Amino acid sequence: MATRLPLAICFIFGLVMFLQYFSGHPLARAAYNHILDWWQIIFAFTLLVGVAAFIKSSLRKTQVKKDAPYALIALAGLILMPLLAVIDGTDIDSPFLWAFENMLAPLQATVFSLLAFFVASASFRGFRARSVPAAILLGTALVVLVGRVPLAESISELFPKVTFWIQNYPSMAARRAILIGIGLGSMTTALRVILGIERTYLSGE
Amino acid sequence: MERLKIRWIIFAGLLLVVVVSYLIDFRFGSRPSPQVQKCYDYIESLPDSAVVMISFDHEASSLPEIQPIALALLRHAFRKDIKIIGLSLFAEGTAIGYRLLNKVAGEYGKHYGQDYVFLGFKPQYISAILGLGESIRDVFPEDYLGRSLDSLPFMDNIISYEQVAMVISIADGDRTVHWIEYGNARYGQEIMAGLTAAMITSYDPYLASGQLFAVVGGLKGAAEYESLLGQPGKGGRGMLAQTSAHIYVIILIIIGNIIYFRNRSRQGRG
Repeated sequence: MATRLPLAICFIFGLVMFLQYFSGHPLARAAYNHILDWWQIIFAFTLLVGVAAFIKSSLRKTQVKKDAPYALIALAGLILMPLLAVIDGTDIDSPFLWAFENMLAPLQATVFSLLAFFVASASFRGFRARSVPAAILLGTALVVLVGRVPLAESISELFPKVTFWIQNYPSMAARRAILIGIGLGSMTTALRVILGIERTYLSGE
Repeated sequence: MERLKIRWIIFAGLLLVVVVSYLIDFRFGSRPSPQVQKCYDYIESLPDSAVVMISFDHEASSLPEIQPIALALLRHAFRKDIKIIGLSLFAEGTAIGYRLLNKVAGEYGKHYGQDYVFLGFKPQYISAILGLGESIRDVFPEDYLGRSLDSLPFMDNIISYEQVAMVISIADGDRTVHWIEYGNARYGQEIMAGLTAAMITSYDPYLASGQLFAVVGGLKGAAEYESLLGQPGKGGRGMLAQTSAHIYVIILIIIGNIIYFRNRSRQGRG
């Protein structure tokens, strides 16, 4: 029963969502709208589970000396931001928006910008023409790198044209192949889940 | 130890290149790419009071690249007296979107509730995108500040995508894919995007198939849009720094390969 009930729910909802796509009947539209509402509600609960898990994990980390300061700051952020929003709202001049813009945004931008340094270091150490395919890849990367800046047009009209060609033919062909593969894979997985063949979401059964 | 030293030299070099080139106020004359021109022409062709939905689907980390794109698009829309519905399908995009919308609206003397609204954030983006096609009020009964949509004159005749000319997704990831796969495929809603440069190639197949109308891509796209608007901004300002960083990386690749081939020929002789 513990397995059959979720499998039955999954089958019914999967089938209803599949069939309603092809129907304009008011009943199908109503069912669709109800399911969309429930989807939002269920997702809101998963956010609560996420917050609870984060609090639990952070509290555990406060017991470890070297992790404790980070865990405490994370917990303080988790409590303070909603508190600021509840006390003074989220309008333009609110402390909530100030904290977001002057603390969270610069912190995230800083971490993200570190990527540029690692890319520079990796391009020096790792991007080598060790073989013919690696040399082709290297040459292509250099052309695209140059072609993506305005300076390229001043050097030669050819750079933007070659960059455009690389993006629109070899790169697009590979990208399309990947997308078609993902599409077919998603359809297969969806069918397996609806038909109850794929059961890993039921505790890996 | 030697490796660590080289790494630090590379890091310091990049920092120097970016900071120095950012301090120099030089702007390239950017010729608009076909994609940017298409976006511009489309907004230019919209009648007064047309409604455009702008979704801020990005994190704070990509703000330096995303903000110039968003500002250029918002300025163009407000300049054309187009009405804007702002929203976010990424929690972090909410505060950013609200701030940007208010900032640009202030520049053009636009009023909240009459010329623009901001709906805020909705979790579970797929159901939100699908729900907006049925009823905007069902997905967002209230705006970002908790006011009922029925109390805003702007929303009087707006029910679903049918009253929205274009959805513009400003994104640093794959949220735009969901707008295409659900908003466009299911409801036929036209989708335009403002994307970080790293994401552009991911969307090329959608552009080629016509599922995605057009893209303003990266800082370069923002600079091109600014030049079309005749309004210099952060996009054009950042182009020299980006160009310098690209050239720096190219030089590093070339030096790395010279060292590699020199070492290989030495080993061959040895």
